[in-house]
Amino acid sequence: MTTVYGAACLAELAICAALLIRVAFGPTVSDRIVAVNTMSTQVTLAVVLFAAWADRTIYLDVAIWLASFSYLATIVWSRYLERGLL
Amino acid sequence: MTIRTVAATILILLGLAVSVSGALGILRMPDVYLRIQASTKNVTLGALPVLLGLVVAEGFLTPYTGRALIIAVLLLVMNPISSHALARAAYKARVPMWRGAVVDQAQQKSED
Repeated sequence: MTTVYGAACLAELAICAALLIRVAFGPTVSDRIVAVNTMSTQVTLAVVLFAAWADRTIYLDVAIWLASFSYLATIVWSRYLERGLL
Repeated sequence: MTIRTVAATILILLGLAVSVSGALGILRMPDVYLRIQASTKNVTLGALPVLLGLVVAEGFLTPYTGRALIIAVLLLVMNPISSHALARAAYKARVPMWRGAVVDQAQQKSED
């Protein structure tokens, strides 16, 4: 099972690396935000799988933090796009 | 290889396959709205099977279960909110649609 966890963790990181292409070449800001939002989800999964691979449950708290705060970036950026800074 | 290991491996591979296809959709779709569509699939069917597979593999009464389910609920609740806010903001910021798009119901509604 450890092998599956490690391979899945590396696969999620490879997906993140592929999404970096969209972050680099996205025509508008919204495209970049979509890619970064998806990357944050994949990174959360990668941290969870790393915790299972290394058998250290303390990393699951990091994953909870990532899952609960990564969406704030999207919300703040959407608000900024919609009506400016304030 | 117990049956729990096999089930967990299948769940994790399903999640990975959907994640790869969602990332491919984000890279290949022609329009920001279609990319948002692909990215929501990435979370609901890409993340939840991986977390469920972790719970199935590690067993229910382990430290993994509660936190993995908390992460699943957080992703399931918050990703539709952020996708909706982002699509609304992109529309308000007048990000152009793909030229093959045939209907814009929000535009029609504001003209009525």
